[in-house]
Amino acid sequence: MTDNVKRFTPTQMLFHFGLIITFMLLSVTGLAWMYIETAWGQVLASLFGGYAGALEVHRITGLILLAGFGIHVLYTIWSIDWKQFPDSLMSRDSMVFQWRDVKDFFLHLGWILGLSKGPEFDRWSWWEKFDYWAVWWGLIIVGVTGLMLYDPVLTSDYMPGWLLNVALWVHRIEAVLAMAHIFTIHFFIEHFRPRCFPFSATMFEGSKAIDHLRQEHPAWIARLETEGRLDRLRVPPAPVPLRILYFGVGYALIGLGLFLLIFGLANVMLLTLQL
Amino acid sequence: MQSKHLIRRVLAGVLSCLLLHGPATSVAANPNAYEAASSGYFRDQDTLPGAYIQYRGSSEGGGAWWGIGPGSGSVKRSSFSADAHLGVAGYGIRSCVSCHQAQRYSLHSSRGNVTCIQCHRGQPIAGIHHYYSALNPIRKHAYVCAKCHEGASPSFATYVIHEPSPLSLATAQEFSLFYYAVWLMVILAGGVFAIFIPYVSLWALRELIGLLSGRKYSHD
Repeated sequence: MTDNVKRFTPTQMLFHFGLIITFMLLSVTGLAWMYIETAWGQVLASLFGGYAGALEVHRITGLILLAGFGIHVLYTIWSIDWKQFPDSLMSRDSMVFQWRDVKDFFLHLGWILGLSKGPEFDRWSWWEKFDYWAVWWGLIIVGVTGLMLYDPVLTSDYMPGWLLNVALWVHRIEAVLAMAHIFTIHFFIEHFRPRCFPFSATMFEGSKAIDHLRQEHPAWIARLETEGRLDRLRVPPAPVPLRILYFGVGYALIGLGLFLLIFGLANVMLLTLQL
Repeated sequence: MQSKHLIRRVLAGVLSCLLLHGPATSVAANPNAYEAASSGYFRDQDTLPGAYIQYRGSSEGGGAWWGIGPGSGSVKRSSFSADAHLGVAGYGIRSCVSCHQAQRYSLHSSRGNVTCIQCHRGQPIAGIHHYYSALNPIRKHAYVCAKCHEGASPSFATYVIHEPSPLSLATAQEFSLFYYAVWLMVILAGGVFAIFIPYVSLWALRELIGLLSGRKYSHD
C-alpha cells in the first residue's frame, strides 16, 4: 500500500509552476521598488541592475503572468464537462464552492476545537478551493491595476490621472495580501503543519501517497474505490533522485518566500509610505 | 524598441476596453469629421469628442466623476498669491518641510529623489493656484510633469503627488474614491488574516495533539 494516487495532470502542474516562477519574480521586483528607500530594497533591485531594471522585469513578468492567466481561463472553460453542464459544476470533482464546503468548514472548525468529528473531505477541501479562487480574484485586481500602472502617461489619456493614486494603493495592498498569504498560510497548510511537515511534493509529483489521502481526503478515496476507478489512478511514487530535486527546488522557493516575508516585516517601519 | 511600441499599442487597446471615459467614440461618429482630424500638433485622442473635458475648469474636481476624485478639500488663500510665503517670519533660513510637514514624504521624494523646488520652482514660490504658477493646472502637465514624464497630459497631471493619508476620515471628503477603495482593500486583507491566522494556529495545535496521542487519522 505504498502506491500514490494521481491528483494533478502535467498541465495543471505546469500552470502551478509557471505561477510560482512569475509570482516570485514579481514579488522580488515589486518589493525592491516598494522598499527602494531601504538598503534591503536596494540590494533586491541591484539584482536587476537597479530600480529601473527591476521595474522593467516587473512589467514584463506581469504581462507574462496575465497571458498565462488568460490561457488558464481558456483551459478552465475547456475543462468543464459541458455534456453534464450545469450539474458538472456541482460535482464532487468540481472546484466550484458548494454548500458542502460551508458545512466542511464548520465541521473542520469543530474538530479543531475538539467539539466534533472532522469532515470527510472529498477531492478538494474548502481551503484548497479558497487558495485556487484567491488567485483568480487576486489576479483580476492586480492585473487590472497593474495594466493601468504599466504606462501612466498612456493610461491617463483614457481616464483621469488621479485614478492611478487609487490603482497604486489597490495594487500594493492586494500584492502584499497575496505575498503574506502565500508565505504564511499557504506554506503552513501545505508544508509546515504537523501532518505535512516538512514538505509536500504533490504539486511537483502530481500524486500523493494513498495513506496520506485516506486521512486528508477519505471521501474521495472511498468514492474512487466504490466506482472502481482507484486502480486506474494508482501510480508509483517518484524515484528518489526526483524527490530530492522536488525537495530542493521546493525549499529554495519556500526559503525565498520566507526571506521576503521576514525582511519585508523587519524593514516596514523604515518606509515613509504610511497607510 | 519595436516590441515596446507594440506593447504600448496592445495596452492602448486593452485600456480602451477598460475604458471609463475618453476616446471611446470613434472619429466616424463625429458629425464634423474635418474638425476631428488631427492637425499633427495634437495627439489623435486629443481631437476626439469629449477630450476637452481634460481642459475644463481647474481639472482637479471630479466633474464628470460625481465628485469622487480629489480636489474637494480646503484651499489655502496663499495658494493664489504670486509669492505664497510673503511675510512668513524667518522664511529665508527655514527648510520647506519645517512648515509643510504633511508634504514631507511623497513617492517622488522618497523614491525619485525629487526635491521641492524641482516642481515648485525658485523664489519667490508662487501659490499653486496663482495664474502664472508653473503648477497651475492649466500648464502643470507641460511645465512640471513633462520634465520627466514625456507626453504628460492635463489628465496625467491630476495624479495627486502629496497623497492624503488614505485611511484618515478627512480623506473621505477630499478624495472619496481613494478613501473607500483603500479601506475596502484593507478590510479584505485584514479579514483574510483575521480568519486564517487564529484558524491555522489552532489547527497546528490540534494536529500536534493528535499526532502525540498516536491517532492514526487526523480527523478522528
